[in-house]
Amino acid sequence: MGPITANDNQAMIALRHLSHWYGPFQALRDVSFQLAPGRIGLLGPNGAGKSTLLKILLGLLPPSSGGGRVLGHALGEDSAALRRAIGYMPEADALIPGLRGAEYVALAGELYGMPRREAQRRAHEVLTYLELEEARYRRLEEYSTGMKQRLKLAQALVHDPPVLLLDEPTSGLDPAGRDAMLRLLLTLGREHGKAMLLSTHLLGDVERVCDTVLILHQGQLLLQGGVAELCRRRHDRYRLQIQGEATAFCEELRLEGVRILHDNGRGELRVAVPPNWVTRAFFALADNHHVLLRGIQPDDEDLEELFHRVLNEEGRHGRESESGGGA
Amino acid sequence: MGESRSQAAAPELLHYRPWRGAFRPPAASVWPIARVALMSLFQKRMFWIIYVLGLLIFLLFFFGQYLLSWAQTQAGETEVQMGGWGRMNPRHLIQLFRGLLKLDGGAQTYYNFFSYQGYMVMIVLALAGSILIGNDLRFGSLPFYLSKPLARWHYLLGKGLAVAVFINLMTTLPALLLYVQWGLLESWDYFYERFDLLVGILGYGIVLTVTLTLLLLATASWLRRTVPLVMMWTTLFFFCRLLASALVDGLQFSPLWKLIDLWNDVSLIGGLCLNVQWSERRLGYQPPWGDAALVLGGVSLLCLIYLVRRIRAVEIVK
Repeated sequence: MGPITANDNQAMIALRHLSHWYGPFQALRDVSFQLAPGRIGLLGPNGAGKSTLLKILLGLLPPSSGGGRVLGHALGEDSAALRRAIGYMPEADALIPGLRGAEYVALAGELYGMPRREAQRRAHEVLTYLELEEARYRRLEEYSTGMKQRLKLAQALVHDPPVLLLDEPTSGLDPAGRDAMLRLLLTLGREHGKAMLLSTHLLGDVERVCDTVLILHQGQLLLQGGVAELCRRRHDRYRLQIQGEATAFCEELRLEGVRILHDNGRGELRVAVPPNWVTRAFFALADNHHVLLRGIQPDDEDLEELFHRVLNEEGRHGRESESGGGA
Repeated sequence: MGESRSQAAAPELLHYRPWRGAFRPPAASVWPIARVALMSLFQKRMFWIIYVLGLLIFLLFFFGQYLLSWAQTQAGETEVQMGGWGRMNPRHLIQLFRGLLKLDGGAQTYYNFFSYQGYMVMIVLALAGSILIGNDLRFGSLPFYLSKPLARWHYLLGKGLAVAVFINLMTTLPALLLYVQWGLLESWDYFYERFDLLVGILGYGIVLTVTLTLLLLATASWLRRTVPLVMMWTTLFFFCRLLASALVDGLQFSPLWKLIDLWNDVSLIGGLCLNVQWSERRLGYQPPWGDAALVLGGVSLLCLIYLVRRIRAVEIVK
């Protein structure tokens, strides 16, 4: 690991050449990045190394090589102070059978170091805030999946940490529950200044809550950037509905740099346009070829498609470099 | 006015409120862990049934000592009225309590008490191991604890404290009560003259607590579920005892074979703490107490090493 710089100290998370092995299996490969406080999405398919990265950031796992700093604390040193500044919401249920909701959250507070009475009072406050007021005296075994997710968030929030590490917070939730959870996370980030690292494989979650995104794949950092910036990189697409002879029109579109992604043969086209394309150009070209443009709808590549495209491109580059190396 | 104040306060509760307090050191989390573990145990009906049985043994000793003390004051009489049970010679009563039950405030009294209570403790522990620690591994609660600012030592200490509190509630504490009772019934001099018994009771309690706590934490974190745990404890404390007895007492093998009986090892060291006077015959069939101490120390160390390796926030799946 290189020397610690002033930037590393100021960043919320700064990692340098971090790798981790589970025996012969390498879960993280030379991961380096620097993140300012904010709402950060950690994206990747299952097995990408997201949970391992979270556990290293939390000081639960030592990195096999490399290192970094989280909130100014060097990884592997003073883990207790680091964990006190972080609220961790695990992916697994991690509940204690037999306890009631309020007892569970108060216990979390006590384990963070809060005095018992304050932990109890705070537990009730947080549960009320998370709309679990009615359920706080129920046993944990009786909680629904959505309630369990909110309860896990409550135990992460009980000591009012500046940073939240959230491992798949919407896992197992129905659409309404997912929507409520994302709204809650957005409010915590925007209105209450909580920095968060949201690990998920659901790109919609990141798009909705986060302003920065990291994409991990097979333990490697594939991409880092602002969600808005990432969206700018995505291809603008349109769905066109035309009437008339389309062959010449499509040919003209291709000459202008437009890619025809799909043509259903019944007058519906899905096209990707080059940068700086203006919509008006569709009408001009249609007019030139005596085609009636009946409908035009933006059909942009969403984050999910972008993610898969980046993965595919990365895979293709990898294969090309391997075959180049082999030759 | 009160109503309008409560109406104003209601939406305030729905907002997130910051908390700015002082945190306590990680060692302060040991007791909350122990408290929650004990609470889980107290919620089980089986615990209370066996606790009541344990209490009956204590009451037998308690009232036995009381009756003996009372019978000694009646030694001049030829017969005394035993409540509604008829009349009895007080010398026979004294002989019954002193000779058969050894209820005379001596080392053997406390040794017997620890032995009887120990059986109860072991039954409860075998049933409660999965509640105390096995469930944390089974239901993935370990990351809940270890993602907080505490080390695994704090977690182990917390769980160990819960087991220790339970063991001592069943054994050391009632034994101390019996000690105080005898002193109050007999004479205050008893406390000065038999101070060694107080030390012995505490010593036996410590040996029992350390050994059983580490053994329970290790086996429960290994086996996790109640049934396998009960089978393991039955093997350790029942079948090993039978085997050791068959080998040494029956087949006349070396008394060293008795070392495989962990309960016998604990009893030997406990007896040593209380300075129990064994009969020559019984001593002939026992291994040296130093070897028993070595076995207990070795088993405890192995359990500790296993626990330190086992208690991790991250399960590594091959």
